[in-house]
Amino acid sequence: MEKDLDKVIEEIMATPNVSGCLVADYQGLCLAATGDVHVDSAGIIVAISEQACKLEPNLKPPTVCLETDKRQCLIQRHGTITGAIYKLKA
Amino acid sequence: MVDDLRKYLNHLLEKVNGLHCILITDRDGVPLVRAVTERAPQLALRPNFISTFGMATDQAGKLGLGRNKTIISMYPSYQVIQMNKLPLVITFIGSDNCNTGHILSLESQIEPFLKDLAAVVVDAP
Repeated sequence: MEKDLDKVIEEIMATPNVSGCLVADYQGLCLAATGDVHVDSAGIIVAISEQACKLEPNLKPPTVCLETDKRQCLIQRHGTITGAIYKLKA
Repeated sequence: MVDDLRKYLNHLLEKVNGLHCILITDRDGVPLVRAVTERAPQLALRPNFISTFGMATDQAGKLGLGRNKTIISMYPSYQVIQMNKLPLVITFIGSDNCNTGHILSLESQIEPFLKDLAAVVVDAP
């Protein structure tokens, strides 16, 4: 059932510098998580994207980039699905 | 201590959109600490509703999957998330479209306060 999702995640993980990937539904429940990602962060990731959407409600959901010393977390919402990609800083 | 915890729970209530109340009770549904907004359904705050979780979690533990930790109940306009922290039970009630994952992640933030509270419940006659 989740073969397509697994394939997408595999592709993302094959990208250079990507250390983890998480996909969550609109209720903040984790659909898939691979790499150096904590499953419990699914709810918070969805909440962050929801808050960011409120900045410009008439436009497409924005991509949120959270930056730390070592990693970047990119959060993007698409319909009811929210994805987060963790990248190592080059 | 209870006042501080209540303030903290109220703070958590504001952080999650659509979350109506957080209750910490014993396994009989007797409230120890509660943070409630006016949107919370009064029927769901009663001990006879909350105490059914005690039985449900015991039964769920018999499925052979290990000890039951959480039960999420979805209703047409509410969702109820109950966590097994026996002798304590944490109950969250939110709207049906509330962020379930965000509520689940509050567990780690409430957990540090539960040790003292659990000791009080265990010592009670």
